[in-house]
Amino acid sequence: MSYVQMNQVSKAFQEQKVLDSIDMQIKKGELVTLLGPSGCGKSTLLRILSGLTALDSGTIHIDDKDVTPIEPKDREIGMVFQSYALFPNLTVTDNIAFGLEMKKIPRDDIRRAVGEMIELTGLQGKERAFPRELSGGQQQRVALARSLVTKPKVLLLDEPLSALDAQIRKNLQQQLRSIQRELNMTTVLVTHDQEEAMAVSDHIYIMNAGHIAQHGAPHDIYTQPRNEFVARFIGSYNVWSAEALGRIAPQVEHIGSKLYAIRPETFCAQPLEGGLAVTGTVSSVTMLGNITRMELNVQGQHVVVDQIHRASDWANVGDSTTVYLHPKDVIPLHDATA
Amino acid sequence: MKRFNSMLYITVIPLFIFVALFMFVPLFTMISGSFQPDGGGAFTLTQYTEIFTNPYYLKAFENSILISLLSSLIGIAAAVFATYAITRFPKHIQERVLVITNLTSNFAGIPLAFAFIVLLGNSGLFTLLFRQFGIDMSAAFDLYSWSGLTVIYVYFQLPLAIMLLYPMYYAIQDNWKEAASLLGASPFQFWRRIGLPILLPGIAGTFSILFANAMGAYASAYALTGSNYNLVPVRIGALVSGDIFARPELGSALGVLLGLTLLAAMLVNEWLTRKVRRDLL
Amino acid sequence: MTRLTRSLPMVAFAAVLIYLFIPVIATLLYSLATSWNKTILPEGLTLQWFGELFRDTRFIQAFGRSLLLSSAATIAAVVVIVPATFAISLYAPKLERWVQTLVMLTYAVPGVIMAVGLIRAYSGKGFSMIIIVFGAYVIGMLPFMYQGTRNSLRAVQAGSLMEAAELLGASRMKAFIRVIVPNIMPGILVSALLSFSILFGEFVLINILVGGRFETMQLYLYAKLNTSGHIASAITVTYFILMAILSAWIVKLTGRTSKPNKEPSAAVAEAAIPTTKAMMSKEAS
Repeated sequence: MSYVQMNQVSKAFQEQKVLDSIDMQIKKGELVTLLGPSGCGKSTLLRILSGLTALDSGTIHIDDKDVTPIEPKDREIGMVFQSYALFPNLTVTDNIAFGLEMKKIPRDDIRRAVGEMIELTGLQGKERAFPRELSGGQQQRVALARSLVTKPKVLLLDEPLSALDAQIRKNLQQQLRSIQRELNMTTVLVTHDQEEAMAVSDHIYIMNAGHIAQHGAPHDIYTQPRNEFVARFIGSYNVWSAEALGRIAPQVEHIGSKLYAIRPETFCAQPLEGGLAVTGTVSSVTMLGNITRMELNVQGQHVVVDQIHRASDWANVGDSTTVYLHPKDVIPLHDATA
Repeated sequence: MKRFNSMLYITVIPLFIFVALFMFVPLFTMISGSFQPDGGGAFTLTQYTEIFTNPYYLKAFENSILISLLSSLIGIAAAVFATYAITRFPKHIQERVLVITNLTSNFAGIPLAFAFIVLLGNSGLFTLLFRQFGIDMSAAFDLYSWSGLTVIYVYFQLPLAIMLLYPMYYAIQDNWKEAASLLGASPFQFWRRIGLPILLPGIAGTFSILFANAMGAYASAYALTGSNYNLVPVRIGALVSGDIFARPELGSALGVLLGLTLLAAMLVNEWLTRKVRRDLL
Repeated sequence: MTRLTRSLPMVAFAAVLIYLFIPVIATLLYSLATSWNKTILPEGLTLQWFGELFRDTRFIQAFGRSLLLSSAATIAAVVVIVPATFAISLYAPKLERWVQTLVMLTYAVPGVIMAVGLIRAYSGKGFSMIIIVFGAYVIGMLPFMYQGTRNSLRAVQAGSLMEAAELLGASRMKAFIRVIVPNIMPGILVSALLSFSILFGEFVLINILVGGRFETMQLYLYAKLNTSGHIASAITVTYFILMAILSAWIVKLTGRTSKPNKEPSAAVAEAAIPTTKAMMSKEAS
């Protein structure tokens, strides 16, 4: 039995359906990510789980208890907002202590719990600072400490890292994940950054237009996208129609799908055993750090090829070039639509 | 190299001339005049000693400060709750309510005094209406008394207070309320611990604007009874514009003291705010 | 307890609304009433009072004087303050702190103090006191014109616009007149309308400095207070309708200029507009 369970959750804002019969299961101690482009409904789903937004239909269970009719403050849920929502008139210590004070916990216990949290999140020395005196990363950690200190059953993170610099974001991802593992905290993370989702999640739900497009472990999703939306969103896959595939690579057996996805990095510059050759004109060459991205025009079909960057000279724009592809890397997409 | 900016000079000099002629020169003449005897002359403090020894002028200050404090307190207390109620309406209704509130802020000075005369004056609608029911209102309430003037002052404080407070409620982010509720706080606990402390500097600032507004108010009291109310602005007006009893130097000294009162109120307000809100330091 | 805390705001709101509206409605009804002495509602309705008012040349003249004085002062305030605000905020940002202090000063000094100073400085020295009132009006509008202009300049990113225009070969003056002015026009218009409406209701300065020699609408209303209640109501209502028209115009202008960007920051900027308005209506004094 899963720890958090959402059944047939639907929500509409002014006739506009934002969530359409969402089902979701989360195991205890798992970090689950809701991933999708902005407007896909992921933040709404998170707010429905917290109780801040009411659902139109469906049920939510947490720890075998139906929380659908329960007020947010009684759901035992912690939440870190995108804007952090730190109380500007309270110090770091008072912000973290707020939830415990509301529960009328004895003063000494509060002091001890807050001290532990400050240590866990590495905020020593900032206890008496006010939010506006902290950096973005520090504010983020105060927000995390504030929501963890009450020992919630589920921790919700609404794009908690999106306002931070790339470097700090990477560090905090690691820190977030290690704290989450240490406390075995059931966590739901909302993000639109697929790298971030891949890096920290046990399980990913990819959402599009109020539906779940696919869910599974990061590796499974990356290697086996089920539809065009996931293929494009998760790894800039090449998506070809059956007709195009037949034209470019007639050797590949048709499996009956309408669309096929090919990861750009599965192409190879050297001939492969059993591989098929794809020849086209180079339309652009772009350096992406340690990867070189080459775009080819193969009989009118646009093909993206990624190769580990090597000093050896590659094709120039306008050249004709051939790359090789193993038929097993052509992934049939099952659902034509998202 | 810096270009000589003729545009800056062409535009700023006229403004500076206006400011000098109609702000600095009058303020300076008023201050210097306040240190002269009646009819002008050498430096003296007689005007100030007269104000501080004459119970009539001391009473004027007492009256002005009391009615300003009272009307500002009533105004701000009502506005804090009313404005909160406004922010709970849907957006388009909020806008309409604000426009209407704003419109009533034009109802000030002479028209306002007149409207209250129509309602509560000696032959005002309510006065006559109550008389119909056999109630003699004049025993309990007289428009031309201090209670009547307070009613009018509160009226012109309300729209001002609402307009000033309204944007401040928008500084209270919805996320704070949500965060507090997830942490187990009731709405009342949220307002007591978070909302009000954050609003407090704004409320205090609004209060001092209301106070200054009432301290300087002249038209309403003047419209009700001419120069009969013993209020500082009314006294000043009478001292400088009366043809026979004009004592502009004494009026100037009252003006300087009125200005100092406003300044003191502002400083006290700032000092208190900083004491209460450590995080603003 | 919780029920009380929940209903208190609505109760306060309703009370405030009633408090603000009863005088307005009473004045309106009184101006339309044939006779209204012994009944809850007027005995009959008539436009007689308005008819009498509009046939009174003294009223027409007073209205005309108010119109003339307020619009002249408003136009002068635009001409004197807008270019200076532009030049200071772009080319002399160091001066801004001083200007802000000045703005605070002009806002904080009550009209009655200004009246004392102006009388002592200029009365009986051969100056026309109407011109003095005019000058004081122009400076009195400094806070609103300055703030309005500055907000508009920031909204259109005047600095970048000027740089772009100058790089394309326009002189500063030309760039200001051809590029900046058309862009901040809606903002200037709003500030001007606000200034006009506040000056139209001004009483303190004109009463103390000039008095009956230049009877404006406010002075006329004051003179009529104790003679005819119905006529005085009709004047008040006329004044109120004029203010309502100006408000509607302002709302229309601000609504149009703030529609393209529906960002939260735009909402904050919008909220600042009624505030400025509120700050102006300091007891209409």
